[in-house]
Amino acid sequence: MAEEKKDILDNLKKAVFEYDRQLAARSAVEAVEKGIDPIEAMNVMTAAIREIGQAFGKGELWLPELVGASDAMQGATPILEEEMERKGRHRESLGMVVAGTVFGDIHSIGKTMVTTLLTAAGFHIEDLGINVKAEEFSAAVKKHDADLLVMSALMTTTMTEQEKVIEALNKEGTREKVKVMVGGAAVTDEFAESIGADGYDPTAPGAAELARRLLAV
Amino acid sequence: MALRGFLRRFKPFEIISENQVEQIHESTLDVLAEAGVKVHHEEALKVYKKGGCTVDFDSKLVRFPPALVEECLRKCPSSFRVKSRNPEHDLVLGLDHVVFFNFPGRDIVDLTTWESRPPSRQEHIDLVTVLDALPSVHFLNNYPYFGYRGIPENMKEMEGAAIRLAHSTKVTMEIANNDIDRFTFRMAKAIGTEIFANPNASSPLTCYTDQTNACFLAAEYDLPSMIWDGATAGSTAPASTLGAIISGNAEVIPYIVLLQLLKPGARVAVANLVLPQNMKTGAPAFGDIGVSLHLAAYNQVWRRYGIPMVASASGVSNSKIIGFQLAYEKTIPSLVAAISGSSAVQIHSSVYGEISSHPVQAILDDDIAHMIGRFVEGMEMNDDSLAVDLINRVGPIPGHFLGDAHTRRWWKREQYVTRSADRLTYPEWKNGGKMNEIDYAKQRLEEILSTHKVAPPLTAGEQGEIERILQEAREYYKKTGLISSSEWRDYMKTLKDEDRMI
Repeated sequence: MAEEKKDILDNLKKAVFEYDRQLAARSAVEAVEKGIDPIEAMNVMTAAIREIGQAFGKGELWLPELVGASDAMQGATPILEEEMERKGRHRESLGMVVAGTVFGDIHSIGKTMVTTLLTAAGFHIEDLGINVKAEEFSAAVKKHDADLLVMSALMTTTMTEQEKVIEALNKEGTREKVKVMVGGAAVTDEFAESIGADGYDPTAPGAAELARRLLAV
Repeated sequence: MALRGFLRRFKPFEIISENQVEQIHESTLDVLAEAGVKVHHEEALKVYKKGGCTVDFDSKLVRFPPALVEECLRKCPSSFRVKSRNPEHDLVLGLDHVVFFNFPGRDIVDLTTWESRPPSRQEHIDLVTVLDALPSVHFLNNYPYFGYRGIPENMKEMEGAAIRLAHSTKVTMEIANNDIDRFTFRMAKAIGTEIFANPNASSPLTCYTDQTNACFLAAEYDLPSMIWDGATAGSTAPASTLGAIISGNAEVIPYIVLLQLLKPGARVAVANLVLPQNMKTGAPAFGDIGVSLHLAAYNQVWRRYGIPMVASASGVSNSKIIGFQLAYEKTIPSLVAAISGSSAVQIHSSVYGEISSHPVQAILDDDIAHMIGRFVEGMEMNDDSLAVDLINRVGPIPGHFLGDAHTRRWWKREQYVTRSADRLTYPEWKNGGKMNEIDYAKQRLEEILSTHKVAPPLTAGEQGEIERILQEAREYYKKTGLISSSEWRDYMKTLKDEDRMI
């Protein structure tokens, strides 16, 4: 059994390092069947992601590897989280994040990169998708008791929607309870500050780091 | 006499074989028929359905039959004119000429600190004036700067359009977001100029509402369309160059099909702003050699279709300063684009990405554009250019060519004397203040701004009509909530300061 457990945990780690989503999923199913602690299984993958993140920081690995590893981990996460739920166990998440691309904008790749990296870092993400109205953001922040709101707007003509979302949070009375990060090609530090956002970073890895700093985790 | 640019006198450079071009074409047809494209526009879906496409109205997925695609590509003219209110600035876009235009930059860059900031209204006017004056700028992109200080975000494009229409008679274009194009098209019509509609693809394989609507507007106003693809290879397009070309083709062709179904024979050009992804930051890798590879192969494919191609990715650099990196990151792809068959090359004025511009850079880029243009015009071969009789007559030393009529006839045709480069000898340079290219460009900037006037200027009636349409746009955006109360207050103050209150 100990040998079996070691093999399964090794495969979960291997799945992340080899960007193999299917191996991650298969190994997660095996882990559940063999009664392996789902939190221990998740931690093995999170440790692998952190190692990849460190290699990325040193310039040894690049975004495709980082996103590929995160994607692979997503093969296992829903299976293991369901098992945690069933056992009444809760993985410590670094925080609850609501994410989306603002109304009028359908660009998603930047948001996808950021949420992928946040998931890998240990945040729980509620991704609202694209073309999301201000009131939908606000409702989701309230419903999920979000710690962080991440908004993306690629275009100069849609970035002003981010201000509307912040206004909606103020109106709902939830602004003080949630940190707000904005992003997108046209967004700047000055713009973020002018609309009352808590932070902005021009790169996906930088945004993930900023999220941790904003939530002090 | 219209603006046609530089005649390309040699066969465009080919980086892939004819068979490979055919393979790309067949692969494009396959993607359009198999994966299809999502089109977020109900009326367009009906047009596609009527035209013979397979349409799922629930998922908004359109699959295109190959025969329809090929028919619509054939209907596009390979050369067309876009009319200006000054006929000398009519633009002719075709397959054998190369024209140049400016790349956008949201803000003005400070030439000392290299930091950027929103321009003033006068700075915006100055850049447009310079672009109007420069001989190798043949038409204008939609935002030399993105508006100016004191203007709400949703009015920046339109206030910028009003400046372009007033301070230049070169043809321009307008983006398709939040009905901006609807107002700008009316402004252009009011003063008797045509402009390009700008449908943009959303990658991968998606046509969004506003962008698709631009096709309907282009048909309604009988305007030409410049259809843009701006995927990032490695994230919203395949990382392989040929794969990115196929997915890009499959993204712009739906607009071509729609335009031809709405108005057969519609004037169309395709514009390529596909960039590799910077795999460290996630941003586009401006200036990467991948841009040149992509443009070279892309041009070959679209020459096969006989549709004018616009190189846009050539005009953008990752450098924040005017310097060596900016020069090579823009010049290499611009030259490759021109020699491989682009009909238009975007290069002027941009400094960093789409974020900053400066008229000094526009002046420097004009030299590059002219050098490239001179290169594509190649060489004439005739008895005079072969100069055999001359060589025989001059003979060995002490013979020389300097004083000969042949030299006077030929040297200016074979050289381009750059207007903003250091061409001095060392002592001249040292004794003349050690001026560099930026110094020369600044001198030219002063000269242009003090002497150049748009011709003809708008009449008072035309200016009034533009202001009236702008006011209608302001009220519309205020009513729809796209200009907030605080923005409106600041905007009204700006207009009052400009003495433009209606």
